[in-house]
Amino acid sequence: MKVSTKETTYDSLYATFEERIEKLKKLPKMKEDTSIEQAIEENGFSRREFMKWAGAMTAMLSLPASFTPLMAEAVKVADRLPIIWLHMAECTGCTESLLRSANPSIDSLIFDYISLEYQETIMTAVGWQAEQNLENAIKKYKGRYILMVEGGIPNGDTEYNLTVGPHGKSGKKISQDASKDAAAIFAIGTCSAFGGVQAAAPNPTNAVALSEVTDRPVINVPGCPPSEKNIVGTLMHYLLYGTLPALDVFNRPKWAYRLRIHDLCERRGRFDAGEFVENFGDEGAKDGYCLYKVGCKGPYTFNNCGKQKFNQGTSWPIQAGFGCIGCSEPNFWDTMGTVNEPLRDRLYHTTLGGLGADATADRIGIALLTVTTVGIAAHAAIAAVKPPKK
Amino acid sequence: MSTENKDNIHHGELVEVEEVVEFTPAYRWQHWIRALTIVVLTFTGFYIAYPFIDPSSNPEPTNFLYANMRAVHLAFGFLMIAAVLIKTYLTLLGKADTYKAEFVSMKDLINPKIWIHQLGYYMFLSKHPPLKGVYNPLQFMAYFAMYILFYLLIITGIVLYVHVYHEGLGGALYGIGRWFEVLMGGLANVREIHHISMWALLIIIVIHIYMAVFNAVFGKNGSMDAIFSGMKWNKKH
Repeated sequence: MKVSTKETTYDSLYATFEERIEKLKKLPKMKEDTSIEQAIEENGFSRREFMKWAGAMTAMLSLPASFTPLMAEAVKVADRLPIIWLHMAECTGCTESLLRSANPSIDSLIFDYISLEYQETIMTAVGWQAEQNLENAIKKYKGRYILMVEGGIPNGDTEYNLTVGPHGKSGKKISQDASKDAAAIFAIGTCSAFGGVQAAAPNPTNAVALSEVTDRPVINVPGCPPSEKNIVGTLMHYLLYGTLPALDVFNRPKWAYRLRIHDLCERRGRFDAGEFVENFGDEGAKDGYCLYKVGCKGPYTFNNCGKQKFNQGTSWPIQAGFGCIGCSEPNFWDTMGTVNEPLRDRLYHTTLGGLGADATADRIGIALLTVTTVGIAAHAAIAAVKPPKK
Repeated sequence: MSTENKDNIHHGELVEVEEVVEFTPAYRWQHWIRALTIVVLTFTGFYIAYPFIDPSSNPEPTNFLYANMRAVHLAFGFLMIAAVLIKTYLTLLGKADTYKAEFVSMKDLINPKIWIHQLGYYMFLSKHPPLKGVYNPLQFMAYFAMYILFYLLIITGIVLYVHVYHEGLGGALYGIGRWFEVLMGGLANVREIHHISMWALLIIIVIHIYMAVFNAVFGKNGSMDAIFSGMKWNKKH
């Protein structure tokens, strides 16, 4: 009984997706001379490889295998969705991670061929022309375009720290203007999702997350960089559903950020066994022991790296023997402590006005406990000589 | 023997004392359960933060040292939660005089004279002030801080717990747990607050033990004994 209900639900979902794809198909193609299909073929991917990709993407979005052909169809119309990609205070690492792979995966090819109406890294226009392109794109595709923002946004008194283009607009103003008429807004990377590295203490530019400067709902796709699968997957999800995905408490899509690195870790058994790498290069490291004691932040970090991996699915940090740095968590630069050290050894910089600078919680705790004990001993000694008044 | 003891003789005269109930059995049980759990939780907690014991070498995949430590930590954690909840209930709604007297202590708390005399007593300058309730103001503040720390430890502990056990209680508390996670700015901070709260609690406990001993030595009214027997001796005036 339950199964049949489920099937009916999937049937109606299938129909909805089909309808949506048909609707998108009717929209004009952004590029007349080429298509995603063609691009994938030209880059040496066989039909079989493409269908494998579509199957993997379907599974990643928690849809049954019967949706695979639909996914393959959906990808082909992805170039009907105009995309505006803004660069704020960032390192362009998110863009680069998609553009610069030696053997581009299908994900990065899709990224290349979706209609990036405005992308500062890859567009040819400069200066006034670039500015005009952005304004035109916002006007032309009003309410239809997807806005992807990379980078934190300097705010407050130091908003001018990010001033872009011949009009001298601040990053905050540009992202607010672009957010207004977007159909959907994705904050790509930890910087635009949570502020990231430039928002770390002392945050000289007062950088904040994109969601702090706009009233529109923002889907966070954090990571430094986020995996190409998570970026393209968020796009495919929007393409199929036409709605925002189910989000977790930090507005990250649940299908990608529901579980911790720790929950999906191939070394989790070593963790529970109490078998830890003590130093990089020791016997434990060779045997694939858990990296918790050499600073893995997997237990505090929500992401699917262990499943999707990086570099065309070759590997990921923990597989390569290096702990997670917690890059997809809010304020990870401040909250996760030193990269190669466990969270226990997180340093407190300004404790006691610099007196306890660079001390760990344990060191401060022991120091305070010592002071307490000395105080107690002194009090007890006085009491022995001069008892309290009765 | 107690009334014959020379310390109970004031100016060479026999002092009459009366036996009073200081702590009910429920009070004493939850106190010692909490004491036990704090010891176990501190040890296992330090291990969880930084696993300092190597499991015995074993070629079979049957080592579960960390998992076992965590299991003990969780079991004693829930025991501590139970004790704290019971004590909170007793304080707020307990029928025995002991619990009502806890509230009466607030009258002492807002009396600056009591504060000055209490501080003076510990600095060997003045006599112990007469109290209306059971706790002196310093004691009251310390215990109040202790409960803030207990609840911080419980909340942060549960947030960490719901990410390990997604079914049953963990599943039921998942939503509220994640709400607190956002409030505290991510799981790493939750873990840090848990750790720091433990340190603060440890320091208060060390002071608590000293003050208990101090008052037993100089108060001579069986106040230390009371946490075992429930009874203490008050001088009749």
